[in-house]
Amino acid sequence: MTLEEKVGKTLAELGVSDAPAVEALFAEVRAAMDAERQELTSRGAADDRERDKLCKELRDRWLARKNGLMSLIDDNWLKKAVKELKPVVGRQFNDLRKASALMQVEELIRAIDSLRGRAAATSSAAGTLTDDLTLAGHARTTSTATGTLTDDLTVPGYRRPLGSIHPVTRVLREIEEIFLGLGFRIETGPEVESVYYNFDALNIPETHPSRDDWDTLYVDSKTLLRAHTSPVQIRAMEKYGAPLYIIVPGKVYRHDNPDASHSPMFHQIEGLAVDRDITFADLKGTLDFFAKKFFGEKVRTRFSPSFFPFTEPSGEVSISCVICDGQGCRTCKESGWVEVMGCGMVHPEVLRHGGIDPEQFTGWAFGLGVDRYAMMKYGINDIQLFFQSDVRFLEQF
Amino acid sequence: MKISLGWLKEFVEVPAEPRELRRDLTMLGLNVESISAARDGWVLDVEVTTNRPDCLSHYGVAREAATFYRRALKPLEFPVKESAEPASSEIAIEIADPDLCGRYCGRVVQNVEVKPSPEWLQKRLEAVGQRPINNVADVTNYVLMELGHPLHAFDLSRLRQRKIIVRRAKTGEHLRTRDDVDRALGSENLVIADAQRAVALAGVMGGEDSEISSSTRAVLLESAWFEPVSIRRTAKAQGMHTEASHRFERGADIQMAPVALDRAATLIAELAGGEILRGMVDVYPRRELHEPLLLRRSIILRVLGAEISWEEVERILRGLGFETERRGTEGWRVTPASFRLDVTREVDLVEEVARHYGYDKLPTRLRSAPPRVEKDLVREKELAISARLVALGYREIIPSSMVDPAENARFTDRPPVVLANPLSQEASALRSSPIPSMLRALRWNLDRGQNDVRLFEVGKTYSPRAEGLADERRVLTLGLTGHRKPVAVYEGEKEKVVGIFDFKGDIETLLEAFEIPGLRFEPEGCRYFDSAQGGRLVAAAGTFAVFGRLDAATMDYYKLRQDVWLADVDLDLLLKTSLRTFTFREFSRFPAVERDFSLLVPEGRSYHEIEGAVRGLGLETLQSLSPGDVFRGGAIAAGHYSLLLRVVFQSPTHTLTSEEVAGMSQQVLGALERLGIRLRT
Repeated sequence: MTLEEKVGKTLAELGVSDAPAVEALFAEVRAAMDAERQELTSRGAADDRERDKLCKELRDRWLARKNGLMSLIDDNWLKKAVKELKPVVGRQFNDLRKASALMQVEELIRAIDSLRGRAAATSSAAGTLTDDLTLAGHARTTSTATGTLTDDLTVPGYRRPLGSIHPVTRVLREIEEIFLGLGFRIETGPEVESVYYNFDALNIPETHPSRDDWDTLYVDSKTLLRAHTSPVQIRAMEKYGAPLYIIVPGKVYRHDNPDASHSPMFHQIEGLAVDRDITFADLKGTLDFFAKKFFGEKVRTRFSPSFFPFTEPSGEVSISCVICDGQGCRTCKESGWVEVMGCGMVHPEVLRHGGIDPEQFTGWAFGLGVDRYAMMKYGINDIQLFFQSDVRFLEQF
Repeated sequence: MKISLGWLKEFVEVPAEPRELRRDLTMLGLNVESISAARDGWVLDVEVTTNRPDCLSHYGVAREAATFYRRALKPLEFPVKESAEPASSEIAIEIADPDLCGRYCGRVVQNVEVKPSPEWLQKRLEAVGQRPINNVADVTNYVLMELGHPLHAFDLSRLRQRKIIVRRAKTGEHLRTRDDVDRALGSENLVIADAQRAVALAGVMGGEDSEISSSTRAVLLESAWFEPVSIRRTAKAQGMHTEASHRFERGADIQMAPVALDRAATLIAELAGGEILRGMVDVYPRRELHEPLLLRRSIILRVLGAEISWEEVERILRGLGFETERRGTEGWRVTPASFRLDVTREVDLVEEVARHYGYDKLPTRLRSAPPRVEKDLVREKELAISARLVALGYREIIPSSMVDPAENARFTDRPPVVLANPLSQEASALRSSPIPSMLRALRWNLDRGQNDVRLFEVGKTYSPRAEGLADERRVLTLGLTGHRKPVAVYEGEKEKVVGIFDFKGDIETLLEAFEIPGLRFEPEGCRYFDSAQGGRLVAAAGTFAVFGRLDAATMDYYKLRQDVWLADVDLDLLLKTSLRTFTFREFSRFPAVERDFSLLVPEGRSYHEIEGAVRGLGLETLQSLSPGDVFRGGAIAAGHYSLLLRVVFQSPTHTLTSEEVAGMSQQVLGALERLGIRLRT
């Protein structure tokens, strides 16, 4: 007897008279439903149009209000069931009705489509996975309908793709945190800056060759792209007065053609401390502390004289070469030391330009190149990599 | 500046190995880049900072070494054997513009034989990077390297009327310099002229015509002092940079002029066999004395944090050529040397003391800044933003702010900040839109086979203002292309390309970190987005984000072959917004009831309206509302779509009865009916 014939009869006519028989009958219907659904989804369709048509046909066969299999079961089996069988038939029918939701057109289409996708995914992945397993010596791939490909738990876990923080930002933050811990605050300033703040107020007159130490990109005769973060020293002094403890992270610009060690845009961090009793000892102590925090406890620092128009005395901080531990190697040009920043006691003229009385206050300052720190820290040999946005670079951080 | 060790040792005993000398000079501020071996022995490459022209010579470096090693510096004495004939009969010197030329010394050497220099001199010059030319020119270079004072040798016979006039160039005057360039001069250029015309660009380069040649018999040696600013301007304007201009613009030693001249004259006489005429012609209109400076002991302590003994301070300053005179217990009166134009303030003297006392011997102290209470809210917000974006899979980029203005103009009407001296057309302005940088970053990766890319940038845009500095705005830019997630073999899931809701969800998740009441979507995108695939998120405070799918025309322009999603977030606005704060709300202990409504919705009704209508009921027990399936076609009436709306009810006080749920469901349906929405039957 076909299913159609069966649903046309009552339970009594089918000789179903107890609960186990009812359950068996419904299980048979359920199996048929699953099989038909399976048959349709696995067969697939030539195109979306045909797919939609096949789905509708199957839906109508089962769910049509008039003469659909479900409605016939309702009419002939449930409604006409004898009183004592009604609860069990009702329960069974309810379960079947829930399961029949899968025979809606949308559900069928979804099932067809996802199976199609799965087929594509499994076939493309199978090659690499199988290779890997063969190498490992367990060729036991099992591909089941639910898409579990393997029971080999040595296969790496699924990684949710996380993003990443740019290495320069990482280093910036690390440096910021060290100084925030010492009670400094973060201050910023404009990148399109006046010649006054970038040079004149910092004691770098147009008439002095020291101005040539900064290859500058100009907007006009009074405006430029700041060549260092030092202008923010003056701006902060004007804004807050003394005492003042700030660090200034930011982008700076130079008229430098890009190569492995130069970039027309790069990053600096400036530090400035102005107070009543600041001496060179504070500069040395703080920067030595910073260097040990950033480069490692074992690092030794060396302060040597240098020249910056806005500090007097001026210095250069070097750390013992981390590659050779100060013995001399190619990285440190055989000197055992690597320069890591410029520093000095704030020039009295600069304090005065910032509106601070140099007879009352003294200060120290430093400036460093963040990109170079990131290159040193991560072993990067080409500064251009920072600005290319290449995912193969970014994903390493 | 290259320093030959052998040459240095002619002026000072160096009790150190080259490697130690390298370290010691570096610790004096004369950073030694490298040591190398030349034909003439060890050569040190010394980096001389712009404030120390006195160290652009062997003698200057020797002075530093002598002070450091506590050795004597050999005094400069060059006895000149002169002939009977006076130089003044052969040459007349006049300084017409004494503001630009403080001193001009000249000597005449006659009957010279111009020929190659001897081997020892050639080796020395080569060791310090100079190319030997002939004995006369080589001597001037030799003295330059030795004493740091630039000299010039003229062929005396080429000077009309045997006259030297130091004057400003006349308008329209020309000079062919030794480098074979015809230079147009003006009154801002100082020249050395003879009776008729300019023969040298003062302090920069000599003229071709009066250059020493093999036929030269009589030489006029010039040793002068030119005003640094004028030399700098002239050299810059002419695009020249010479050994002479390098020193004059930094400040030469006016008292070295006659000494260097005597040194050169004796050497020429020795090597070229000439006679030095009697007397030096020394025109010296500007006899300025260095102002003595007061150096207080209290300042040394205040700046360096160290007590340095009277004797040590005096030893250092005297060794460096300063005169010191004690002033009671206060300190010293110090007269700076003529070769130290950089020393003009008390604090400059402190640096001299510190340098030679040794930075490494100065004390060290670590103190924190005074404690402060305010939090760095901006930083806190920035960290929150990047943490969310990283969790969403976005990678931070830092692209260049410099762009091609034409490319920039595709995305905004705000003008960019145009540079006067750009490196290239592609980097000739600071961008006023962040979009080109992001598109370039995406394309860079797509061109390299990276097809699933999520990027963000925290940066700025720049635009000129009518007054004052540029308008710099902080922006957060998101770029997205490719698949939702990587193909997972484990789940066998079909790869899915990202769509508007993936991207919108990312931006919503980002903004959720902040307290933004009334944030809503508006479909108005911007000119480079597909109008149907983008929009903006706005609230009372303003537009937080504009986002969408890049339109076809822009995709073509960037040769992009897959969909690209971009968001321009107003970071200034976001940083002004408070971060979301957290307050615990007790959750209900009673069961939630879920109701699915299968709705028939007229096309054009938005989910936003549906949600508004349901929430507008103000049902206390309405726990959540979410869209399920959307379906069109099939049995759905034309002009409508089917929406599965899932509503969850839950009471904080009791288990909801089926009557209550039915009642609320009716209210929901009633509210939806007013939008023309009904249950599917």
